[in-house]
Amino acid sequence: MGKRNKTAASAAPVVKKKNFFQLLWKYRTLTLMCIPAIVFFFMFSYMPMPGIWVAFVKYNYRKGIFGSKFVGLQNFEFLAQSGKLWSLTKNTILYNIAFIILGNLLAVFMAILLNEMASKLFKKTAQTMMFLPYFISHVLVGVLVFNFLNYDTGFVNTILTNMGLERWQPYADPHVWPVLLVIIYLWQQTGYSSVVYFASIMGIDGEIIEAARVDGANAFQKIRYIILPCLKPTVVILLLFALGGIVKGNFGLFYNIIGTNSMLYDTTDIIETFVYRATMTDFNFSTASAVGLYQSLIGFFIVMVVNFVVKKIEPDYSLF
Amino acid sequence: MKKKLFAVLLAASMVLGLTACGAKDAPASKTETKTETTTEQSSASEEEAPAIDTSEHVKITYMFTGSKPEGAAMDRFMEMNDKLNEILTEKCNAELEFYWIGWTDYLSVYNMTIAAMDGSIDLIGTASDWLDAWPNAKNGAFLELSEDMLKTYAPQTWASVPAENWELCKYDGEIYLIPEDNYAQWTNHGFIYRADWAEKAGLANGVHSWEDMTKYFEYTTANADALGIKQAWDSDGTQNTQLASGWVASHTNFVPIDGICSSALWGGTKDDLYTVVTPAYTDTDMMVEYAKMMKSWNDMGVWKKDVLNNTTSTNRDDFRVGLVAADQHHTQTWTDLCSPTPSNKIYQDDPNAKAGFFYFGEETKNVVALSITHGAMAISAASKNPERALMVYDLLRNDEACYRLINYGIEGVSYEIDENGYRKNPEGYNPDTDNVGGATSWWWGRNDNLELRSADRAWDQIEALYDEYDKIKINYPYGQFIPNCDTIQGKIDNCNEQFGNYMKQISFGLYTGTAEDIVAEMQAALKAAGIEDVTAELQAQIDALYK
Repeated sequence: MGKRNKTAASAAPVVKKKNFFQLLWKYRTLTLMCIPAIVFFFMFSYMPMPGIWVAFVKYNYRKGIFGSKFVGLQNFEFLAQSGKLWSLTKNTILYNIAFIILGNLLAVFMAILLNEMASKLFKKTAQTMMFLPYFISHVLVGVLVFNFLNYDTGFVNTILTNMGLERWQPYADPHVWPVLLVIIYLWQQTGYSSVVYFASIMGIDGEIIEAARVDGANAFQKIRYIILPCLKPTVVILLLFALGGIVKGNFGLFYNIIGTNSMLYDTTDIIETFVYRATMTDFNFSTASAVGLYQSLIGFFIVMVVNFVVKKIEPDYSLF
Repeated sequence: MKKKLFAVLLAASMVLGLTACGAKDAPASKTETKTETTTEQSSASEEEAPAIDTSEHVKITYMFTGSKPEGAAMDRFMEMNDKLNEILTEKCNAELEFYWIGWTDYLSVYNMTIAAMDGSIDLIGTASDWLDAWPNAKNGAFLELSEDMLKTYAPQTWASVPAENWELCKYDGEIYLIPEDNYAQWTNHGFIYRADWAEKAGLANGVHSWEDMTKYFEYTTANADALGIKQAWDSDGTQNTQLASGWVASHTNFVPIDGICSSALWGGTKDDLYTVVTPAYTDTDMMVEYAKMMKSWNDMGVWKKDVLNNTTSTNRDDFRVGLVAADQHHTQTWTDLCSPTPSNKIYQDDPNAKAGFFYFGEETKNVVALSITHGAMAISAASKNPERALMVYDLLRNDEACYRLINYGIEGVSYEIDENGYRKNPEGYNPDTDNVGGATSWWWGRNDNLELRSADRAWDQIEALYDEYDKIKINYPYGQFIPNCDTIQGKIDNCNEQFGNYMKQISFGLYTGTAEDIVAEMQAALKAAGIEDVTAELQAQIDALYK
C-alpha cells in the first residue's frame, strides 16, 4: 500500500519512503480499528507459539514445558507406529474436502435462492429455520441422530417396522456414514455459511443488475453473468481459509455421533478421534501437541501451495 | 454503537487472555511447590519438637470422582459439611471443601484437573488401577510424602499402615500415596443375576460358569415378557474389555498387572508370576470360543443391538426394580444389590427374589485380592497447605466423629445405630436426599476399625462369598512393580486402542465374518501395534525387579 502514496512535493523525482511509524500514524484510525484483532491473535496465536516445544519433551507438570526432558521426535513415533497414519489422514482430508466443496456449493445456492425470493416474510422465516441447527451443540446432535437412527427404538426404524419393512441398522454399517455425516454437517452449517454469501450478494452494485435487466437478461442470466462472477473472490478466499484446516477434523461432530463404536472406524475415524482415544489413557500432553503440530504443518503447507497457485492464475484473489 | 461494540470485544479478549495466562502459569506453581517442600524439610529437620503451626485458618479442597448432590440433597450435604468443618476447625484450624469430578469422561476430566496445578486442590482421591495414580505421580502431579512429614502431620495413619504397605506406595524411593489398606472389600468382577430366575431356568445351584450364564440368558431373553423385563442386560458399550478380562480369568490362571493401560493386557500366570504373557493375544482357541459365545448372546438379544452407541443405560437401577435380569460389576456392587435395602425394590415386590453372583475366575479358582492402592490418597504437588491437608486426612481416617460424618452423614438424619451396633436408616429416611455418605466417595481412607456395618445388608450371603474368596485368593503380586513406559508408551497406547476396538466387536458379538477371522485379525493388529516389543520390555523390567 505504501508504494502508492503520492507525496505533495512534486519537485523531487524520488518519492521519499515513509518509515513504519510514520505510516502507523498516517493510518492511525485504521490501525486502531485493527487493534482488537491484533490483540486477539497476539494472545491466542503468537504468545502460545513457544509452547510448541512441548511436542519435543517428556512433559513434567512441575518442571514446566521448558524444564522437561527433551526427547526429540519420540512423541511423534506413536502416530507413525499406529500404522493408521495414512488412513486417518485420508479420512480426515476426504471428509473435509466433502464438507468444504459441498458446504460452499450449497451455501452459494441457498444464498442465491434467498436473494431471489420476493416474499420478505418467507425469506426471513426460511433463513431463520436454516440458521437454527447451527446453534445446536454437537452433543445434542449426537443424541438426536441416535434417537433418529437406532435399531431398537429409532424413529426411522419405527416407521420401517410399522410399514412392514425390515429394520435398518446404520450403527453396524460403516459404509453409510460418509453420506450421513456429510448430510448432518450440511444441515448444521449451511444456514450459517449462506449468510456470508448472502451478504456479498447484497453488496453487489444494484446498478449492474438494473442495467442487465434493461438489456433483457432473465433471472438465470443474471445469476450466471453477474451474481456468480461477483461471488468468485469471496468463494476463493473462504476456500483458502478452509484449506488451512483441512487436516483438522471436526472432533465434536464425529465423537458425538460415532462415539467409540469401533465397527464404524474404517470410514469414520479421523485424526482427532483416534488421538483422543489412544492418549486418553495416559494423558500425555506431549503426544497430543505433536499431533497438533503435524496437522498444522500440513495445513500450512497446503495453504502455501494453493495460495501460490491462485496467485499465478488470478493475483487479486490470493491471500498474500 | 460500533465503538462500544469494539470496546466490549476488546475487553472480552483481554479477559480471556488473562484467564488463559492464569491457567498456564506452570512456572509460578512450580516455584510455589519448591518453597513448600523446602519448608517441609526444614520443619522436618527440627525433629525433636515438631511444632505444628495451625494459626492460619485454611481451606483444604478434596477432589474425587462422584456425583455432586443437587437441591435438597445438597442442603443435607452442606449440613454434614458444616458439622465436619466445626470439628476440623477445632482440631486443626482447617475446613474441608468437596470438589466433585462427575462420572462423564471422568478419567480425562480428573487428569485435566490435576494437571492444572494451580493450587486449587489439596487432597486427591486416587487409585493405581483405575485412576492413573502412577502416571500422575511420575508426571510430577503428586507431592512426595516424606516419612517425617507423615509422622508429624498424619501420625495415626503412619502408625496404622505397616512398613511393607508403605513400600507399595513408593516410586523411586519416595512415598506418593496413602493406601486404604485396612478395609476389607472385593472388587473382582462378575455377573450379578437373579438366582430365583436361574432356578426356573434349570440352574438350581445358580450360575457357576459362562455356559450356565448362556443358559440363564437363553431363559430370560425367551421369557422377557413373563418376567417383566425390558432387556436381559441393558449393557453399554464400555463394558467390553472388562468382559474380556472376565473370560480370560475364567479360562486361564492369568494374573494381570495393573496400571499399564486400561485393558488388562499384560500379566503373569499363577504358576509363573514373573513371566509376562497376554493370553488374549496368544490363546487363539480360547478367544475364538469367546467370540462365538458372545455372538450367540448377541443373537439372543441379551443387549440392545446398538449397544456400542448406547450411552444412556440405567442398567443398575433397572436391576433394583426388576427391569433387567443381569448386571456386570464387582463384588462390592453385588453386596449392595443382594441386600434388601430400600432402593432394591425387587425384594419388596417379590419375596422370592434373590441376587446371585457369578464371579469371573470361579471355574479356575483364579481370584486376586485387591491391591491396597485400589483406593489411595495423594496430595497435590501444587497444594499450598500440604501439611494441613495431611492433618485433615488423618482425622477423616482415624477420628470417629469425622469418620462417621464423612462416611455416613449426621447421626439421626442419615443413619442411626441399632442395638447390635449395626447402622440402619432412621425413621423418615429419604434415600434421594439423605444418603450423604454416597456423595462423599470416601474410598481412599476407609478404616475397618471405625466402619459401621449396615444393618440391611445380607451379611450371611456376603460373608459366605468372602469366605470362599479367602480360601482361593492370592495377594496381588505386582505391588512393587511400577513399569517405566517412556520408551514403549506409544506402542502400549496403540495396543490398548487396537485391543479395545476389537473387543467392542468381539465382546458384543457384533463382528462380521467368522469368529476365527476376527480373532486372527485382532492378533495381526496387536502384532502390528508392537505388542511383542512391549511384552519384551516389561519382561526385562520384571526380571530386573524380581529376579
